[in-house]
Amino acid sequence: MTHTDKKTAFRLGVIVFVFLAILTALEFFIAVAVPSTLLLSLIALVKAGLVVYYYMHIYRLSEREGDPDSYEYKAGTLRLGLWLFLLSDAFVFGGLAAARFNLLGMTRPNLNQILGLIVTSVLLLSSFFMNRAETAMAHGDRRTFATSLIATLVLAIAFLIGVVGVEWPSAIHEGIAPSANAAGAVFFMMTGMHAFHVLTGVLFLLIILRNGLRGLYSAERHRAVEAAAVYWHFVDVVWIFFYPALYLIGTAL
Amino acid sequence: MRHFVIVGILVLLFAALTFLGLRAVGLMPVEAALQAEIVDWMFELEMAVISFLFALIVVPLFYSLIVFRRKPGESGEGEHIEGNTRLEVTWTILPLLPVLTFAYLGAITLGQTRRLDPNAMVVNVTAFQWAWRFEYPEYGIKSNQLYLPVNRQVVLKMQSPDVIHSFWVPEFRIKQDVVPGRITEYRITPSQIGEYKVRCAELCGASHAYMLAPVNVVSQQEFEKWVQEQQTTTTQTATAGPDATRGEKLYNELGCKACHSLDGSKGVGPTWKGLWGETVELADGTTLIADEAYIIESIREPGAKIVPGFQAGAMPAFNLSDAEIADLIAFIQTLK
Amino acid sequence: MKKILSLGLVRGLIWQVVGTLAGALLVTAIRALMGLNPWGNFLFSEAAWVVGGLTGVIAFIAGVGALTDWFQWALGKETPEHREDPPGWEKYFGVSLDHKVIGIQYTVTALLLLSVGGLFALIFRTELAASGLQFLSLQMYNTIMGLHGMVMIAGILLGVAGVMNYLVPMLIGVHDMAFPRLNAFSFWIAPPAAIVLLSSLALGGFNTGWTGYPPLSARAPVGMQMFFLAVWVVGWSSILGGLNLIATVVRLRAKGMTAFRMPILAWASVATSIISLTATQLIGLSFQLVMFQRLLGMGFFDPAKGGNPILFQHLFWFYSHPAVYVFVLPGLGVISELLPVFVRKPLFGYRWVAMSSLGIALVGFLVWAHHMFTSGMNEYLRVPFMYSTLLVAVPTGVKFFSWVATLWKGKIETPTPMLFVLGGIIVFLMGGLSGPPNAIVTTDLHLQDTYFIVGHFHDTIFGGYIYPFFAALYYWFPKATGRRMSEKLGKLHFWLMTPAFLVMSFLMMRVGLLGMRRRIADYDPALGFDFLHLLITLSGFLIAISVLIFLYNFFHSIKHGEPATGNIWRSRSPEWQVPSPMPAHNYEEAFEVVGEPYDYGLPGSTYIRFNGKHS
Ligand code: HEA
Ligand code: HEA
Ligand code: HEC
Ligand code: CUA
Ligand SMILES: [Cu+2]
Repeated sequence: MTHTDKKTAFRLGVIVFVFLAILTALEFFIAVAVPSTLLLSLIALVKAGLVVYYYMHIYRLSEREGDPDSYEYKAGTLRLGLWLFLLSDAFVFGGLAAARFNLLGMTRPNLNQILGLIVTSVLLLSSFFMNRAETAMAHGDRRTFATSLIATLVLAIAFLIGVVGVEWPSAIHEGIAPSANAAGAVFFMMTGMHAFHVLTGVLFLLIILRNGLRGLYSAERHRAVEAAAVYWHFVDVVWIFFYPALYLIGTAL
Repeated sequence: MRHFVIVGILVLLFAALTFLGLRAVGLMPVEAALQAEIVDWMFELEMAVISFLFALIVVPLFYSLIVFRRKPGESGEGEHIEGNTRLEVTWTILPLLPVLTFAYLGAITLGQTRRLDPNAMVVNVTAFQWAWRFEYPEYGIKSNQLYLPVNRQVVLKMQSPDVIHSFWVPEFRIKQDVVPGRITEYRITPSQIGEYKVRCAELCGASHAYMLAPVNVVSQQEFEKWVQEQQTTTTQTATAGPDATRGEKLYNELGCKACHSLDGSKGVGPTWKGLWGETVELADGTTLIADEAYIIESIREPGAKIVPGFQAGAMPAFNLSDAEIADLIAFIQTLK
Repeated sequence: MKKILSLGLVRGLIWQVVGTLAGALLVTAIRALMGLNPWGNFLFSEAAWVVGGLTGVIAFIAGVGALTDWFQWALGKETPEHREDPPGWEKYFGVSLDHKVIGIQYTVTALLLLSVGGLFALIFRTELAASGLQFLSLQMYNTIMGLHGMVMIAGILLGVAGVMNYLVPMLIGVHDMAFPRLNAFSFWIAPPAAIVLLSSLALGGFNTGWTGYPPLSARAPVGMQMFFLAVWVVGWSSILGGLNLIATVVRLRAKGMTAFRMPILAWASVATSIISLTATQLIGLSFQLVMFQRLLGMGFFDPAKGGNPILFQHLFWFYSHPAVYVFVLPGLGVISELLPVFVRKPLFGYRWVAMSSLGIALVGFLVWAHHMFTSGMNEYLRVPFMYSTLLVAVPTGVKFFSWVATLWKGKIETPTPMLFVLGGIIVFLMGGLSGPPNAIVTTDLHLQDTYFIVGHFHDTIFGGYIYPFFAALYYWFPKATGRRMSEKLGKLHFWLMTPAFLVMSFLMMRVGLLGMRRRIADYDPALGFDFLHLLITLSGFLIAISVLIFLYNFFHSIKHGEPATGNIWRSRSPEWQVPSPMPAHNYEEAFEVVGEPYDYGLPGSTYIRFNGKHS
């Protein structure tokens, strides 16, 4: 548990988000102006680092509190379990990325750039609200928790609609159909697998919201909220890498 | 100390016996190519090292089992030895010797097997379910047998229209997969006149086991003689009209028979019995008469018209000469 | 009858059938509405079978009751992590959260699968007993051969999970795994998946062997999809199992059990779990991609669409090589665990043996392309992969030398478990030493896809897994049942299986070198292998007989074996300091680690002391 007071905690969330937003914009302009794979990868790494440290609190893994039967200790074990799962999951996405570069090399499907930037920002924003919701609960502020979590959910669903409802049909219209060529296959598999994770995340968040509203969580006991948050941020981290891989790196076909 | 001396002697003895035993049995088939000699040289070295390492573990193991076994009625525990860092380091470092030797020689010998001879003969190979087809661009010959002049390097440029196959002649040792969508290269210098077989070494479907083709390594003169024959026959077929018997030969050689029966039974593809002139109903519902045009199309681009109940794309596209197709059709016409 | 129906397993099976039909019919209906042909060669269309297979598995898991607690949690209700299981045999056929019950469930399922896989082997071995086609069609041969491979591998994975599940919590002194519900879930994924795998027999089979390379797998019958789906699902069982084990060992060790005072098997299990946790995802992914290529025409591996067949092989082997260390590391752990007990002497160089497991696991991640030396991948990649592969020999060697040093100057006893330990060492040594010739590209160009390889991996698998697994079963059987298996039958089993197996694997390598290809239903009589193949087949049957003897011994001894409730092996390890069979929540009172695990022959030293506190 971070023992900073609520205000500073919230402010930290904002600052991190501002950095992420700037980096994303930077990314976009680099891709337009000086398409350098190296730079783009570096920025992606920095963004991921920010999220993993400030939003996912990876450092909490080293906390070993309480005796083995205490709630804290159990929560710590749960935390480790979740991170192990994310590590495992990262290999799927890593494999997909590897496949993308093996098949398409330094080319990429010609997608709607604006749409890409929008959905990316939406997901980033949802991460911000998720962090806000968790911090709120960590300080026992149930109202902010509920409102921020609802905001997260709205943005999450907006992201899904943006990708599945808008991007997919327009891609198919552009001739990037799943069965058309390798580029289409890669694009749909990568976005599809990610969208699937977003969907599971949404379900997770809905459960948290319901149980939260029924007052099952408190400042001391809300490991489920923390887990949901970490999972949600992970889904965002994946997109932090997929966005440049699909939209920015390489020359459009 | 006594123990160590005895074990040491036994290890060397056992290692030597194992290695000589293996040599006496003879592990590899005939060496029919220069590359084979390189491979066998490397393999023999590996066997020597392995025999020694095997002895190094097994001998002390059995020695302990016999000497240090718990004798009847004996009680008490073994000697309390927790370990010995110097020993551990030694047997972590020492195996690096064989490892590094293998690594070095492995790379060297690999390079030798890949060495390219500037005036090598090129043969284009097509591997398809489930047969081999060889084309000699230099001489404009197509054949389903591989004829090679002895002591001249040949470079096979191999491709596959359907699935992965693998070109392997055990007597040549070297093996190379044939992958759809790319051309893989196989370099060999036959050194032994004789008759061998290509054996497809990558599981490629039902008849994988039978995907063989004759490989004849012959003297330069005989090779030229063979080339002569082939060229004359090809020119003949080009001029002479369609001929059912040649068609039947093609049916057997090209691998059509792998999928198309002549007795009306259903194989991977539809039977050819009574195919000629019959009304074929296609998967898309339309019907047509199996005439020359249709059959030519079916062979040149099988995907174009699909017969229901059969998998589209199952049949590889064959780029056969008009003469060959004419012969096949002549053959099909005889199958009433 | 009523009792039977109330069993979770039975309920699960019924639900699976229903779920499969539901899923399949749904897809069929959708296809009909979309104007596509709703039916296929096997009644349903391929898509319907795939979706049906998946819904069926999910239905089974829900039906058996492995999800109930999580639904409760979602509804905000707390449920206990330790339920009381019903006494008697019923608890083994339903969801239990006790790691010992789950461990036994895993182990028995593994025995079942290994026997089924063995049966397949006997069938196609009979076909191979002579050249020419005896009684199998070509397609049928390929299906049975591929199923033999994959069923056996699935059997191994479950067997490994069984050993780790049953033993590790006891060895590190906890009453259960870190996530008991996840543990039960991981097990209950496996039975429905096994059913899906075998169902491929009925759906046209598949003709690619266990490696499922496209483009061939993209053209195979529907059975291919069932194979892919099943493996994809089983993969989750070992991913989640590995996750659970790592969390358990990292977080829940007994007081005073520092990393280098853990029993060696715990080390091996962690090394194994690191692999299964991460690498498994990539075999899942590679199979998933082919499934989608078949369903939606996505061109990942289809050259015509700019796909790349070699890419599949990279993804596949990135898991399937490390996987082979998943098979053996726990086995080698068992060897290192049992040797000191029967040599009455400390494990020589404990730290080195512990570290070598991690070493093997980590280097094992960097060698996958050694299965692709002839595949037409980038020429120059072959050399670095040859180097990394050869490097694995070093940590493995450390184990062997340490084992020999452990035997040296001991007081060696050879009851059945020890026999299997020694057999395992020798057989695995042969398998391991037949590795470098494959690793060295030059010679692999000849060996690739021959029976030499087949011999190589039967040696490694038997030596690194089957033998130690048997040893473990003979050794810990009393801990689970309070009775011991018959020594006489055990020795008979060993002395029948070992010579038979040696003949089998030697002859495999022999014919391989002389030109016998893998995965062929019929071989050229001109090669003159008929007699050698006959011998291989016969020895296969002898192994089978020996295993039957084992199975009889195993199931008979559960009720009728001679009682053995004490520390019959005079072991120092904690689980033997309490009477057998192990009580429901393991140790009544917690223990503290006060010494080294393997200090045999050091007077007055003990490994653990019970500290009276209730655990
Ligand atoms: C239990 C499983 C297992 C294990 C442990 C191993 C261990 C090893 N394997 Fe094996 N292997 C398989 C299972 C296994 N393998 C399977 C199933 C296949 C076929 C897959 C398929 O195609 O279907 C296969 C195929 C396979 C290939 C591909 C062959 C081909 O298809 O062309 C290669 C190539 O490098 C290889 C190498 C090795 C090596 C170097 C080791 C090393 O880990 C061995 C290390 C051990 C030793 C070397 C012995 C002890 C060491 C010493 C005594 C020290 C001194 C020794 C030296 C310095 C050499 N294996
Ligand atoms: C666990 C792994 C395992 C085991 C135990 C076996 C056991 C046997 N295997 Fe198998 N085999 C494989 C894994 C295994 N195999 C794999 C992965 C392939 C590659 C498939 C492919 O190419 O795609 C293969 C391929 C393979 C081939 C090559 C097929 C071909 O390329 O065409 C052959 C040929 O002889 C063969 C024979 C046998 C025989 C006779 C046995 C005999 O030992 C069987 C007799 C045994 C029994 C009938 C009982 C079996 C049960 C046990 C041994 C254990 C039971 C219980 C406990 C351990 C407690 N196997
Ligand atoms: C790998 C299997 C395979 C091989 C080899 C094969 N075919 Fe076919 N063939 C098929 C299949 C499947 C069909 C039906 C589907 C289609 O029309 O594409 C077919 C259809 C045909 C047809 C149309 C038959 C009809 O009933 O309408 C002709 C003609 C034909 N093949 C000729 C050949 C010739 C000539 C060869 C050899 C040079 C050959 N095939 C080799 C699988 C094969
Ligand atoms: Cu072609 Cu096997
Ligand atoms: Cu390997």
